[in-house]
Amino acid sequence: MTSTSPPAVDVRGLSVRYGGFHALRDLSVNLPAGRIIGVIGPNGAGKTTLLNAISGFTHVTDGEILLDGRAIQGWDIRRRVRAGLVRGFQTVRLMERESVLTNVLVGAERLDQPNALAQLFALPAQWRGRRIQERAAHEVIELLGLGADRDRRVDELPFASRRLVEVARVLISYPPVILLDEPAAGLDQEGRRELAAVLARVHERHPSTLVVVEHDVDLVKNLCSHVVALESGAVVCAGTPDRVFGDPRVQLAYFGRSADAPA
Amino acid sequence: MSTRSRTGAPSVALGATADPRLKRSRLPRLLLVVVIAALPPLFFDDYWLFLVAQVAAFAVATLGLDILYGRTGQMSLAHASFMGVGAYTGHLLAGLNQGVAVQLLGVLVVSVLAGLVVALPTLRLSGMRLALVTLAFGELLAWVLINTTDLTGGTQGTSVDPVVIGPLDSSVPMQAYLMALVPASIATLIVLHLGRTQMGRRMLIVRDSETAARSVGVAVARTKVISFLVSAVFAGVAGWLYAAVAGFISPPDFNLFASVYLLVAVIVGGAGSAVGAWLGAAYIVLMPQAFSLVGQPNLYPLVGGALLAVVALLVPDGIVGLSRRLAGRFRRAEDRPNHPDRPNHPDRPDRSTSGGDR
Repeated sequence: MTSTSPPAVDVRGLSVRYGGFHALRDLSVNLPAGRIIGVIGPNGAGKTTLLNAISGFTHVTDGEILLDGRAIQGWDIRRRVRAGLVRGFQTVRLMERESVLTNVLVGAERLDQPNALAQLFALPAQWRGRRIQERAAHEVIELLGLGADRDRRVDELPFASRRLVEVARVLISYPPVILLDEPAAGLDQEGRRELAAVLARVHERHPSTLVVVEHDVDLVKNLCSHVVALESGAVVCAGTPDRVFGDPRVQLAYFGRSADAPA
Repeated sequence: MSTRSRTGAPSVALGATADPRLKRSRLPRLLLVVVIAALPPLFFDDYWLFLVAQVAAFAVATLGLDILYGRTGQMSLAHASFMGVGAYTGHLLAGLNQGVAVQLLGVLVVSVLAGLVVALPTLRLSGMRLALVTLAFGELLAWVLINTTDLTGGTQGTSVDPVVIGPLDSSVPMQAYLMALVPASIATLIVLHLGRTQMGRRMLIVRDSETAARSVGVAVARTKVISFLVSAVFAGVAGWLYAAVAGFISPPDFNLFASVYLLVAVIVGGAGSAVGAWLGAAYIVLMPQAFSLVGQPNLYPLVGGALLAVVALLVPDGIVGLSRRLAGRFRRAEDRPNHPDRPNHPDRPDRSTSGGDR
């Protein structure tokens, strides 16, 4: 409400090379501000590499990543997180033996934290911050429908809930730029629908530039207002879902058939 | 009640801090702790009180190691060495006719320095390699202790002057017990509180996934260093306390085996739990005595080793995890028949159904 509109992410001439392998080659793409953006493409197209590059988990060989006009490719992960760019993972990485609440609260790192001594000795300096964080955690837990499981250990939860816990950890600070790597992976049809609904709801309440790497065509079509199709480390096509999925090159690359083949 | 009397802020009512469950469960637990703490002076003779005072001293060390190993997941084979740093620093300062306050301050400062020396490799290392670096530190300290005979008494060890604070004298078991309870309580409170802070959560996520920690913006290296420093300070104070209670220290008290036993304590008790750290401290202090009592002191290493293997294989969460699991099973079995017997049971429909699926 008080926040200004979320920033756009602009990628210019980005190359990521692992030894002799070009994971991304001279890739330029605009991730428009405040939209839900789907990144699609076959395995090995460079979707995760693009996410890793933007979030700082991969060293960039060449090119620029602009967040709101600022070049961030030299920043470390922590600085990018502080600037409001937070990611999730394809494999769920949680604190298995801890509660849902604890797992979500750790994501509040992006918010201001009192110093170590104040925390160790329970100084008043931390009380206010803690209240704010806990309220934020409860809100996001309710928003994602995890309220009943709040105090349960995450290793007791079904996979779909664990997925949501990870999403909640990303969302607790409502970062202006959110990168999710195949959040629907491993979910059944029902779980996917729910996840899409949750993400849409969150995006409506807390506008962000939400980038979702996803295989599921239906989910992307339902959720995203902008789609980027990758293949072999380059952008094949970008634009509205209709346009991208109607593009013969996308059909060929992504579905392995040409546009005129029967659907 | 108090929240309702505060008018004008109804929207805050569902705030997390007003969790009634927490507030209700705290008082009985506190009473239980006080009762347990009061038992030894009432029922134990001097010798056992002396041992229980040692348990309290070791608890400070195991609580510290629990922060480092149990919560942050960093292996240290130097923790007894940190205890040695504290014990000998205190002893040397006492030899210079310094009072308790100066001794304690000295112990804190030197422990932080020692912790820093060992913590710096954590920036680059983890797992077994880190353990080896901490091992090297331990061996170095052992070498120093043995070869500075005029300061430390060398391999012969040295007797330590009792610490006297006001009317309390650490050479009297009962008073030593009371004295040891103070730092042990403070250490316990810090560890319990740590679980509710972001600092504590950072440690947990560093333990479980450094990648995830980075992704939410946790400074992984800084978290490890802080964890090392805090646990080194805990161990240093524990060593100082142990020296005062035992009245005698020698290098074997602080060698590799002692460090391994501290790790054993944390693992057997239950890593990541303050109660577990206490159980572990009790285990490593009292177990050898129990075997001596039945006339089989040599059995301790054998049975202790076997027990560690069993715990590591069967109950990875230690005694605390085991009891929690048993309690969970018990509660689930009891849930239904007990419901009418608990008229005050708050209306929390989700709790009973979420626990078990049968």
